[in-house]
Amino acid sequence: MTEQAIARETPATRGSTTAAISDWAQEVTALAKRWFIELGRERLNLVFSVAQPAIWLIFFGSGIGRAVDRQVIGTSDYTGFTLPGIVAFTVVGGGVAAAMPLMWDKEGGYLDKLMSMPISRSSIIVSRFVYQFVLASFQVAALVVVALLAGVSFELGPLAVVIILATAGLLSLAVTASFSALAYWVPGHGTFFAITGFITLPLVFMSNAFVPVEALPRWMEIVARLNPLTYAIEAMRLPIIKGWDGDILVALGVLGAFSLACLAVGASQFNRQTADRVQ
Amino acid sequence: MTAMIEARSLVRTFGSTRAVDDLDLQVESGEIFGLLGPNGAGKTTTIRILATLLAPSGGTARVCGFDVMTHPQEIRRRIGYVMQKISPTRNLLTGRQCIEMEASLYHVPRREVRARAEELLGLVGLLPHADRLFSQYSGGMQKRLDLACGLLHRPQLLILDEPSLGLDVQSRHKVWDYIHDLRRQGVTILLATNYLDEADRLCDRLTIIDRGRVVVTGTPSDLKRAVGADVIQVTTAEPAPLAAAIAGQPWLQRHAVSEAGELHAHVTDAAAALPALMGIAAASSIPLETVTYTRPTLDDVFLLHTGRELREEEVTA
Repeated sequence: MTEQAIARETPATRGSTTAAISDWAQEVTALAKRWFIELGRERLNLVFSVAQPAIWLIFFGSGIGRAVDRQVIGTSDYTGFTLPGIVAFTVVGGGVAAAMPLMWDKEGGYLDKLMSMPISRSSIIVSRFVYQFVLASFQVAALVVVALLAGVSFELGPLAVVIILATAGLLSLAVTASFSALAYWVPGHGTFFAITGFITLPLVFMSNAFVPVEALPRWMEIVARLNPLTYAIEAMRLPIIKGWDGDILVALGVLGAFSLACLAVGASQFNRQTADRVQ
Repeated sequence: MTAMIEARSLVRTFGSTRAVDDLDLQVESGEIFGLLGPNGAGKTTTIRILATLLAPSGGTARVCGFDVMTHPQEIRRRIGYVMQKISPTRNLLTGRQCIEMEASLYHVPRREVRARAEELLGLVGLLPHADRLFSQYSGGMQKRLDLACGLLHRPQLLILDEPSLGLDVQSRHKVWDYIHDLRRQGVTILLATNYLDEADRLCDRLTIIDRGRVVVTGTPSDLKRAVGADVIQVTTAEPAPLAAAIAGQPWLQRHAVSEAGELHAHVTDAAAALPALMGIAAASSIPLETVTYTRPTLDDVFLLHTGRELREEEVTA
C-alpha cells in the first residue's frame, strides 16, 4: 500500500495524453464487457431483440405492403421501401433499452460507486453506445437477410448495407445520448417509461418510415421534415431503392449534426442534473 | 504524520435542511477514525462530500492532500469507497467478473487485473466462490466483495459507510477483522456507523455527530472516561467491613452500600481497581460472592453531550 504503487497507475504521473486515452479505452471496454456478459446470461433477450425487427419487416413488407399504392411510394418494392423505417424504429427502441441499465444503476446506488472511481464521465454512456451499436448491427444483418430472401434488391449493393450500418450508428448515438440524459434526469423509472412511451411511437409515425414525406398530410409533413428520423431513413432508403444520390450525403450530414448536438445537450444536461455532485 | 482528511466549517444544505452544519474533521494518516451518530445525523452526507460525490455548500475539505472541489480525480485515485447500500444491479455478474471490471475501472494494468482480483478475493475469503453469481451471494459475501473492490487500487484511505449494516454476527466480526488487518498495513480508514460496539471496538478515534454538527471528538476510552466512573458491584456477607477496608484508597472516588446489601464502589478505572479491591478483601479475609462492574458506554457519552440516547434511535433504525 505504498505511494509508489498508486503513482504508477496514475495517468498524471505517466504524463501523457496517450495514457489518458488508454485509460479511457480500458474503462469503456470494462463497462461494455459488463453489458455483453449480462446479454450472454439473457440469451433469449438477444434472440427476441434480433428476431423482432425481422418479423416486423415481414409483417409490413408482405402484409401492409399489399395495401400500399405504388404510385405514392414511388417503387414496387414496399419491403425495400420500409426496411429503413424498421431500422430506425428498432434503433429508437434500442435507445430506450440502452438507457435502462443506467437508470437501474442510479436507483440501485451503483452509479455512486462508479462516480467515486477515477473514470471519465463519458465512458458509461459511450459503453452503452458501443453495446447498442453491436446489437443494432446484428439486427441490421438479420433484416438484410430477410430482405434478400423477400427479393429486395439493394441498388447500391453491399455499399447500401455499409451506409445503413453507418446511419444506424449515428442514430444510435443520438438516441442513446438523449435517453441516457433522460434516465439521469427523471426522478424515477416511472417517469422515464411514461416519457419514452409517449415519445417513441409518434417519433416513428411522424416521419417517412412507412409513408413518403410528400404523401403525408401537410401538418405531418412539417413535423416529419423537422424529425431527424426522416433524414436517417432517407439516407438508408436512397441506396436501397434508388442507388447513389448526393442527397445521401446531405441526409447523413443533417443526422451527423443532430447526433453531435444530442451528445452535447445530453452531456450538458447530465452535468446540470448532477450539479449536486462534483463533476 | 500528515492529515489524510481535513474538513473545515463544512456545510451542506438540502433545501432548508442543514444536513451538515459547520463540521470540522481531522483524520490523521494510519488511524481508524469513526463517525458515530444516529440516522440522519449527517454521516452519509459528510462521507459523500469526502468521496467527491457531493459538492459542499460551504467550507472546505481536503482528502489525501487535495481539495474535493478542485482535484476530485486525484482524490478518486487514492481512496476506496464502500457504500452502505449493496447494489443489486450486478446480479448477472459473477464475483470475479464484478471485481475484474472494477479493477479495470481503477486502471489496474491490464496484465495484472486477473491476479489483483484473485489476491483480493482471497483476502476476503471469496476465492472459492469467485465464479458464482453475485445474486447467489449472501448479504455478508456481497459486503465482503464490495470491501475487496474498495482495495483494488491499493488506496491510501478507505471510506466505509456502515460496513456491517444488516450483517449477521459472524460476518460482522469477519469485516471487523479485515478492517484491523488493513490498518496494520498502513491504510487509513474512515468509518461511519451507528453501532456503538462497532465504533468502540474498531476506532482509534471518533467524532460523535448529531444534526450535522460535531458533538465531541476523542478516543473511545477518553470519551467514556470523561463521562465518569466505572462502578464495581460486590456481593458479600460483610459489606460494611469491606467498605471500611477500601476507604481512602486512591482509586476509589466514592462508595455506598445498597439496600440489597451490595457494595457499590465508584472507581476511576475498574481494570486497575478490581485486583486492588480483591487483594484487600483477601488480606482482610472477607469472602466475596460475586464481583461485577459496569463501564460507561458510548451511549452514555452521547447522552452526556446531547441529553438524548443514541441507542433508542439505533433500535428504530
